[in-house]
Amino acid sequence: MGLLNGTVSYLRFVAMGELGDLNEETLKDALEAHAFRDIDPNSEEERSVGWVRFDDPFSAEWAPGELIQPGGLVVLRLRIDTLKVPALTLKAHIQAAERDRLTAAARDKLTRAEKDQVKVEVRKDLRRRSLPKMALVDVLWNLSTGDVRLFSTGRAVAALFCEAFEKTMALELRSVGPMTVLWLRGLAEEDAEALSRTEPERFHLPVGSGGEA
Amino acid sequence: MSDAHERFAALGREFLTWLWFETERNHGRVNLDGVGPIGVELTRRLALETGGAAGENSTVSADTPTVVEEARVALRTGKKVSSTRLILEVGERQFELAIHGESFVFSGVKLPTLLTAAEDERLAERFALIEELEAIVDGLYVQFARLRLDPDAWPETRAAMARWVLASEG
Repeated sequence: MGLLNGTVSYLRFVAMGELGDLNEETLKDALEAHAFRDIDPNSEEERSVGWVRFDDPFSAEWAPGELIQPGGLVVLRLRIDTLKVPALTLKAHIQAAERDRLTAAARDKLTRAEKDQVKVEVRKDLRRRSLPKMALVDVLWNLSTGDVRLFSTGRAVAALFCEAFEKTMALELRSVGPMTVLWLRGLAEEDAEALSRTEPERFHLPVGSGGEA
Repeated sequence: MSDAHERFAALGREFLTWLWFETERNHGRVNLDGVGPIGVELTRRLALETGGAAGENSTVSADTPTVVEEARVALRTGKKVSSTRLILEVGERQFELAIHGESFVFSGVKLPTLLTAAEDERLAERFALIEELEAIVDGLYVQFARLRLDPDAWPETRAAMARWVLASEG
């Protein structure tokens, strides 16, 4: 699923609020302030989310004038890294380390504190030896209309994207669904209100049989 | 889900069911205000739901799912289309997408063949096509919403849809 080729699946949002002084320079500053940063394997951090270049997931630097395209189109890419040792792997390595510790100490039992220490050490060691799982999500933002399209349909990704976008741009995102489409496409507010009060139809019943249960 | 969200989710199901009705009534063409007749085909997959707390559903997978008896039975038992795959023909161009009536999520979107080769121009062209596709689908939906609110036109359409559902009995 790529933005440039093949089929696409996406979620629609609209950015609410005034763009204010958003321009090439302020957008660049905002993206760089919320750029992707590698997860420190020595930390407890399991996830890192931030902006990267569309053409290079290892760079978060933009040249002047390359962000806002003609027509007010902005193409962004969000990188989401996850570094999490699978529970089963962690458990197996902890058991092995505990056995080694007992053998080395010629004992048959570890204290609670020793067990905790083994757990911490093994987890750190495995994190240092693991590569984060990387996900790249493309975003199209039309500054002229406020339309934002996220080229992923996963709920978890959408939640991470909304949080990153709203923090970076200081704009609220509203999901576009069958309710929001109506006002985006110019249906009068009172008409949308009237629709929200109508009873769902029951087409399989003769006229006059009432609304849906 | 709030009452308003549930109501509009139901409206999304009514919309897709109306679209099916319109394609059968007009031999695969639906008149889109401001554009004219466009080709609309419900294809490959049709999911139907009752909605509400009961939430019974049926899914039909076939090249032309609208002619499958199971889909007709689902209509007659009060289910409406919750999602389907659509082929939209506008002039010489063809768009294809899966649409969920309750959320308006577009997936598996196939756009018409691009005319440009340069990467930046391809992106701009694909973006323009995505916007055009949304304008078509949103336009059909708003058209349905206006019809749904029309006290003169809707009762007639609603009665015609009821006859269509009944006539689908095999």
